Amino acid sequence: MCRYCVEYGKGTKWYLNPDNYRADLFQAPGHNTSFDMLSGTYKNNFEVGAAADSEANLPDYNFGGAFNIALENITQHQGQVVPLEDALKIIDLAYGDRFILMHCACRRYFGHKDVYSCLFFDPVVDRVLEQRPWETDSRVISREEAREFEMEMDRLGLVHSIWDAGVDTDGKPPIVMCHCLETDCMPTRIRAHFGIVNAQRKGEYVAVIDRKQCAEGCIKMPVCLPRCPFGAMRYSPLDQVASVNISRCFGCGLCRSACPTTAIKLMDRITYPTLVDVW
Amino acid sequence: MSESEYITPRYQISVDEEACGNAIDCLKCVKICLDHGPNVLGYMNKEAPEAPYPEKLEEIDHKIISAFMINCDGCKKCIESCPHQALSLIVPEPQKPRALIPQDASVVLCGKLADGTEVLQL
Repeated sequence: MCRYCVEYGKGTKWYLNPDNYRADLFQAPGHNTSFDMLSGTYKNNFEVGAAADSEANLPDYNFGGAFNIALENITQHQGQVVPLEDALKIIDLAYGDRFILMHCACRRYFGHKDVYSCLFFDPVVDRVLEQRPWETDSRVISREEAREFEMEMDRLGLVHSIWDAGVDTDGKPPIVMCHCLETDCMPTRIRAHFGIVNAQRKGEYVAVIDRKQCAEGCIKMPVCLPRCPFGAMRYSPLDQVASVNISRCFGCGLCRSACPTTAIKLMDRITYPTLVDVW
Repeated sequence: MSESEYITPRYQISVDEEACGNAIDCLKCVKICLDHGPNVLGYMNKEAPEAPYPEKLEEIDHKIISAFMINCDGCKKCIESCPHQALSLIVPEPQKPRALIPQDASVVLCGKLADGTEVLQL
């Protein structure tokens, strides 16, 4: 298991452990920097500023170790890919009754049209409404609407990711679910291009394709190929089947939801000895 | 990467914040860079707002920022699009090699000289 599940999972995946969903954790020293920053006025200075200032400070992009440590210990904010069914379980486990849906900073501040893909959990709602009144387009939604939203994001082809508010001895509390793509999301890009693993850890699963079932499916025009944002999907025009490069797969499950047959399944990453430490 | 001081030469975009004003009022450079492809220009609030918190996004002062400049191709469309001539492109000097090491294209390992002397014990 990834070390987070070993240390914070209590037998299951860390984000499925109810012990991590304690709102009082956000006031503890290992988490309050993240909570204050994400629910307050400093959010953009961190999110957009991190990308903007890194060019000048570290021109050779050789900042992998430092950036990973900064994400874990200083900004207290790390992300991991989850597939749709785990995203829905997280919505069910999440605190309180409310969620707040807000614009994605990465997309807005780099000129893309507004995408409301940032789903924050109940504990930040009151503070966000008080501290950032200019965000008039954010919406407080119910648990049922949040579930519908997750399914819509999956249909659209955006990667679900669960973010924590810091890792400390008292827990790893999830704070927000986001929906990312390499074309316009900064954490995805810094993971893909600069190997900053803490910005986007691989999910707990990898996709596996049953060759026989696949051969009865799309045949000439595989629909799963463009769904993979991580370049893990392969297609052989000779055999006319798709297959997964499991060392590149992040376990987002977007391929699986597009497949017209049941050829694609998500297997636990840890069932593959070579992937046990690949996050 | 190794400990060398080599820095990948990249374009830099310098923004005159005074000439630009509040970036959110315009954003022409951001849009044109997105349309052209590289999408290296963005904008963000200059400072974290303090109480009393503004009621409108436009009331917050924004600046133009650049990121992931490795994607910039130096097209200068952003420079040309700015109505206040606030942007300028800093073109990097191509790096020269740090040292020239003459090296034979191939090395021939010979064990015996022309006069029959054995020079290598293989």
